[in-house]
Amino acid sequence: MLPAISVNHLTKFYRRFKALEDVSLAVEPGEFFGFLGPNGAGKTTTINVVTGLANYQSGEVRVFGHDVTREYRLTRAAIGLVPQEFNFDPFLSVEQILVFEAGYFGIPSREAKMRAGELLEFFSLASKRTEGYKKLSGGMKRRLLIARALMHRPKILILDEPTAGVDLELRYLLWDFLKKLNREGTTILLTTHYIEEAERLCGRIGVIHQGKIVAVDSTAALIRKMGGDRMEFYLKNDVTKVFAGVSSVPFTVESSGRKISFKAGEGAIPAVLKILQGHGVEVEQIDVRRPTLEDAFLKLIGKKGDGGA
Amino acid sequence: MKSWIGFRSLVWREIVRFLSVFSQTIFPPVVSSFLYIFIFGFSLGGHIEQVQGVSYLSFLIPGLIMMYAIDGSYANTSGSLFISRWANNIEELLVTPLSYVEMVFAMLIGGLTRCLVTTAGVYLVSLIFVRFPVAHPFEVLYFLVFVSLTFSSIGLIVALFAEEFEHLSIITTFVITPLVFFGGVFHSISMVPDALKWLTSFNPMFYMVNGLRHGMLGISDVPVFPCMGLVFLMCFAVFLTTVYLFRIGFKLRK
Ligand SMILES: Nc1ncnc2c1ncn2[C@@H]1O[C@H](COP(=O)(O)OP(=O)(O)O)[C@@H](O)[C@H]1O
Ligand SMILES: [Mg+2]
Repeated sequence: MLPAISVNHLTKFYRRFKALEDVSLAVEPGEFFGFLGPNGAGKTTTINVVTGLANYQSGEVRVFGHDVTREYRLTRAAIGLVPQEFNFDPFLSVEQILVFEAGYFGIPSREAKMRAGELLEFFSLASKRTEGYKKLSGGMKRRLLIARALMHRPKILILDEPTAGVDLELRYLLWDFLKKLNREGTTILLTTHYIEEAERLCGRIGVIHQGKIVAVDSTAALIRKMGGDRMEFYLKNDVTKVFAGVSSVPFTVESSGRKISFKAGEGAIPAVLKILQGHGVEVEQIDVRRPTLEDAFLKLIGKKGDGGA
Repeated sequence: MKSWIGFRSLVWREIVRFLSVFSQTIFPPVVSSFLYIFIFGFSLGGHIEQVQGVSYLSFLIPGLIMMYAIDGSYANTSGSLFISRWANNIEELLVTPLSYVEMVFAMLIGGLTRCLVTTAGVYLVSLIFVRFPVAHPFEVLYFLVFVSLTFSSIGLIVALFAEEFEHLSIITTFVITPLVFFGGVFHSISMVPDALKWLTSFNPMFYMVNGLRHGMLGISDVPVFPCMGLVFLMCFAVFLTTVYLFRIGFKLRK
């Protein structure tokens, strides 16, 4: 099957500044794909190229096999975009914003009004339908952005940091909603700052750093690559000296010698326990740190994660 | 047709926009045309005998109508597109499957609609002062439509180049208004010195004003067919330019 989105060797400059360098990735139909990267990595720029909001210098970008430049009408019809920044029509009311956007996508106005009614209801915006968007709170504007992208029932939904600055309640509501939408067949590409969000929602993750893709893999595999669990022993005594000569287990000693941490597995736990017993050191507490996507992410972009080896 | 709905939606959006600020878009030309007609035509004009066989008051009306046709068309598209760029809601449009030709053409129809509403208003005001049968209704329509589409396109082009809102009015003040005035809104070319006559022949507005005057009164400083041809060619050229700029995403795509 043709990928929903395929980006091949995409390079993009803003004047002389190279924002994307040889970016390649593919999002399969029906996937929930997470696109992660620190601020300024090039996530929004990539999305802009896919949706037709940015020009690019070389490479090829396709949506369901259609070229986004040559067959822009087909590719744009397939995508609903929730942009990072608010970009509402200042002359229209909340309801009109939805109905007109649907209209541009070819939805007849009677049908559009019906859908707008449903979405406004679902996103608790019905009481604001006749207001201009400026009268909405930040969270309401966010919901309106999402409602607008859904008006033409796109096959692909692209969300650019949809939960930035959004309260917890709305975030959970949104997560459930997106999961459901994805289960019902919508392909989703999500960028986010909250790594936890990606870990919960996304089956596969692409990581971009300084305009280059540094990893594309399933969420589980990315975490697995971080290695197994990490043990943390909190101790009664300073063990700096005790472990000074030990090389059988890679470990780190912290908290002025009262904490030792090491990777579980390969007989590491018995080995450490034996050493501790041998010196009569009592263990106060044991923690197991399971590596998270955040650890994997931080490692990929060159920052040391807590749980990283 | 699917895309017909998209096109229609954008036309309607453009109309909703200028109607929602009608006190800035429709009222001013109607009020100021009343003043022009009253002061120049009705009061001063009484002292001018006749121009090309018609009263000065009648002579003035087509010129004024053409002036507001140009002004309204330009103001509508330039204002609309510039604000869309500025508020970023142009992105709402750029992610839709509307073709660039459809986007441009829909905005032009918005400009044309405002032009027709405004000029109808100006015409109604003029009926208070003077009434005459329209000589060639088809010509009237022809010139209004093509001139409006021309200046609607120019409005879009200027809105793309403009970096600040003031740039839009700089073009009005220093280019459009002088050219329209020298194009013969208030005078016939036979009233001016030879040097200015020669210069005026390079002023496209001169052919537009005279074309419409021929349509309404049957009089003109120049034959009407060249005027029709010129207006059509100009319209075609600026339309293609505008579509080209949209296609390459000039100041639209990052
Ligand atoms: N319109 C623009 N003009 C110039 N540089 C830009 C523009 N938009 C983004 N950039 C630069 O491109 C890089 C990538 O930005 P962006 O794609 O917005 O990153 P992200 O969405 O991952 O935070 C950044 O260095 C940013 O400063
Ligand atoms: Mg971004």
